[in-house]
Amino acid sequence: MKRVLIVDDSIAVARQLEKIVNSGDEFEVIGQGRNGAEAIKLCQQDKPDILCMDMNMPVMDGLTALRNLMQLLPDLNVIMVTSLGGVGDKFTEAIKLGAKDVISKPFEKETVLSLLRRL
Amino acid sequence: MAVKFFGQFLIEKGAVTRTDLLKAIDLQERTNLKFGETVVEMGLMTAVEIARVHQGQRSEDLHFGEMAVKLGILTEAQVQEILTRQRNSHLYIGEALVKVGALSEHELESYLKEFKDDQLAYIAEKIEIPAGVQHKPIWEMVADLTYKMLTRVAGMSIRTGPCTVIDKLPKRPIIAEMGFSGSVSARYMLSVSENTRSLVAKAILDEESVENETVEVLDDSVKEFVNIVCGNIAAKAAQLGHSIDITPPEMRDCEKSGLDVPENHTGLMFPIYLSDGEVFELSIFIPTE
Repeated sequence: MKRVLIVDDSIAVARQLEKIVNSGDEFEVIGQGRNGAEAIKLCQQDKPDILCMDMNMPVMDGLTALRNLMQLLPDLNVIMVTSLGGVGDKFTEAIKLGAKDVISKPFEKETVLSLLRRL
Repeated sequence: MAVKFFGQFLIEKGAVTRTDLLKAIDLQERTNLKFGETVVEMGLMTAVEIARVHQGQRSEDLHFGEMAVKLGILTEAQVQEILTRQRNSHLYIGEALVKVGALSEHELESYLKEFKDDQLAYIAEKIEIPAGVQHKPIWEMVADLTYKMLTRVAGMSIRTGPCTVIDKLPKRPIIAEMGFSGSVSARYMLSVSENTRSLVAKAILDEESVENETVEVLDDSVKEFVNIVCGNIAAKAAQLGHSIDITPPEMRDCEKSGLDVPENHTGLMFPIYLSDGEVFELSIFIPTE
């Protein structure tokens, strides 16, 4: 079972995403963070297989955290989560920085699961 | 006088009872199929394809049919066929009230005329931004997308009133706010009642009931809705040649009195009405240049 860390400042979004990730027996959520700084700390501490992280967060935004994480843990699978799905440069920046994919909020269960399965 | 739906107007006039209206609404709901439902009835799309279209609509401002064409699921000709079928079978609330025996044809015609006269001042056919405000197309787009997302994402039936310039935002229990920076700066605010917050939370959390949710989760759902709307606004602004960055959503405390528009800012307020008569607002505070 692949271990997933969720980082999003929205409790509502994190809860919905956790429900989707835990819905089968392929993935399990091992923890949650609320900003980019917590993402870095929790990834170093818990070594998840997959990180699902929001782009737009307080304290440290998702793209800054992604840039740091790709230097610290280059093999980490990161999926960025965003409401800015239609903003092309944000998508491009996330992919260029090393994110495996970008998903738009709110989520479609099957889209999230099929994306996780591809990693 | 206020912005209202025809059914609400008829009840207030004493022309129909609440029971009549509920019967008529029930008949309408059974008769009027949404675009996606019509597509299923016609056997043109699968549930998985419909879900793909809904997902696409959340990140791009397109109607269901337009998105289905973009994704290669339907052809333009099929979309036109579906729209014609929908138009031909659509039952308006007045017609439904006649069908359930609550009104005669003659009464309907007479009340419709009265209703249109009553509502003339409140119907914003087009979003009009008051004179003297800069970047008008941006604010029109902001209001338009907010209305569309309230309908598409939050599943609300709304009517909108004309935009006005304000000095103070009325007192509301819940105000979710986001900042725009970049080539256009502003504060975007959605101020809602507890009832409207619950409607938004049900949609965002995808739950039938939110009665047992904490205030934190309910507030967070409104913030998340605002985040989704503003994400779409940033995308649309990029198409209009503007670069807008958004800051994370926050809650504003405005329990005691209203919220003053800061100095050197213009405050725009767009009233939004629900079918039960409740009103909430989209407001934008724009720095004057």
